[in-house]
Amino acid sequence: MIMIMISTDASAPAKRRTKPSPPENKWRTGARERAYRSRLLEALRAAGERRASGPRAVKEAADSALALTARGQSRWSRAVLLRRRSRLLVRAGGRIRRRKRPRRRPVGPTPGTGQPEEGKKVRDRLRALGRLVPGCENLSTASLLEEAADYVAALEMQVKAMRTLADDLSAAAASGNGRRAEG
Amino acid sequence: MGSAGSYGVGTGNSGAYMTEIAEPIRFDEEIRSLIQARFDAPPVSGGSFTALLGLSANQAVGLLHEPGAGEVSASAAASSPTGLGHPLGWSPTFPSNAGLAERAASFPVFAAADSPASSSGGGPSPQLKAEPSDSDSSPPLPVPIDKPRRPAKRKDCEKQKAKGPAKKLKTAEEHTEDDQLPYVHVRARRGQATDSHSLAERARREKINARMKLLQELVPGCSKITGTALVLDEIINHVQSLQRQVEFLSMRLAAVTPRIDFGGLDSFLMAECGPLAASNGRGEVALDPVSWSSDPAPGTGQRTDLRPSQQSSTAWVYPYGLINHGTSLFGYGAANSVPLNSNQSKTDL
Repeated sequence: MIMIMISTDASAPAKRRTKPSPPENKWRTGARERAYRSRLLEALRAAGERRASGPRAVKEAADSALALTARGQSRWSRAVLLRRRSRLLVRAGGRIRRRKRPRRRPVGPTPGTGQPEEGKKVRDRLRALGRLVPGCENLSTASLLEEAADYVAALEMQVKAMRTLADDLSAAAASGNGRRAEG
Repeated sequence: MGSAGSYGVGTGNSGAYMTEIAEPIRFDEEIRSLIQARFDAPPVSGGSFTALLGLSANQAVGLLHEPGAGEVSASAAASSPTGLGHPLGWSPTFPSNAGLAERAASFPVFAAADSPASSSGGGPSPQLKAEPSDSDSSPPLPVPIDKPRRPAKRKDCEKQKAKGPAKKLKTAEEHTEDDQLPYVHVRARRGQATDSHSLAERARREKINARMKLLQELVPGCSKITGTALVLDEIINHVQSLQRQVEFLSMRLAAVTPRIDFGGLDSFLMAECGPLAASNGRGEVALDPVSWSSDPAPGTGQRTDLRPSQQSSTAWVYPYGLINHGTSLFGYGAANSVPLNSNQSKTDL
């Protein structure tokens, strides 16, 4: 079993005051997009090989590829990969060995800024955000915001890469088929 | 050690700020006598306490200077050329000032210095300049100014902590109008409580605000929105729309993928690697498809014969150092066998 390369977060220490590096810069460089594209292509070919070309399988492959490209630096990427892995294990008849994270604070997100009466709205929204981002359900507010920023940057890159890939593929498929027909 | 509070009433005409100026004089003497041995740090230490809170010196000075530039500059005149010189001179020296804060907190301030301080016709400022200029170690000159206000208002301060920096100055100004109190606490920021809990809370809150700002910049159209709830709303909408786009695109890809003629992929790969090779300076990507296209792929490139084309395509992605044999991470356990077989069949071909 290949272990996921998990590198410790640069912002791991609890007493860190500010977030030094903006996450979106890492995702916007071309290197990550290229890496993602190649991974996606490979996954697509694998899916085509296995005749698992349902859109859901494709989406899962794309998400896994995205999480892999994140190199395990972010919580959501690890959660995505663990999710896939545990599902695979279940499918293979194995046990799910998921490290149960202790629930730190069920009402983790607190507003911080804003009136206390409207703090409830903020808290609800923070919780909703936590549910959207994979693996960030009961996380502290600061980590949640950080993960969300990274996730948004990654999603944007994913959309961009998938769009160009789909365009290329459909163009190539069209022209390829056309050529095939001629040849 | 002097009388309390009467001084302020006596001379308080030009705002409450002038009344406070005399207090630090008396307090300053006490402070000086105590800290002489320990803190031979220059005036910078006065400002470094604010640095304790994670404020930049500039911010702290800004806060200091907002309500009463006159008093601060007057009091700190001896310590630095102008009050505005503070940001440059201040350097964070935490440990000494934490000790100072504690010690200072235990000393009552009595706005005594009245006779020497108040009686001068020129107002307190010359006195202030004269007194501190006696010795250099008058570090907390800016510090004591707000002290008498502090303790009574601490409850309010803690309640208002949530209100963000914009209100700090207002609350400080409000408080300074009120009656003086004999107790002294070290000031962290105007209108803010200073115990360790609130400090930690404030640091945490600033961390959260910084990340919120990052998110706001990331999500388009969020910079104009004010209010945490609305911003979060926008962010949630954005994430949802992105996820939906991913779903639609995956549907598109799923529709295209079976139609991919793996044999006829040479043209596709050329198109694909074109932009990749351009951005990829290594050129590794460009090489492989060239060799690949020279392979007898066209001969075997029918849809039924996926294996040889599969192996050459995986060869194409090798340069990226992918975990091609470890695709269990992808969840495609079956793919494990593919590269192994393909390597063998490649040699066969």
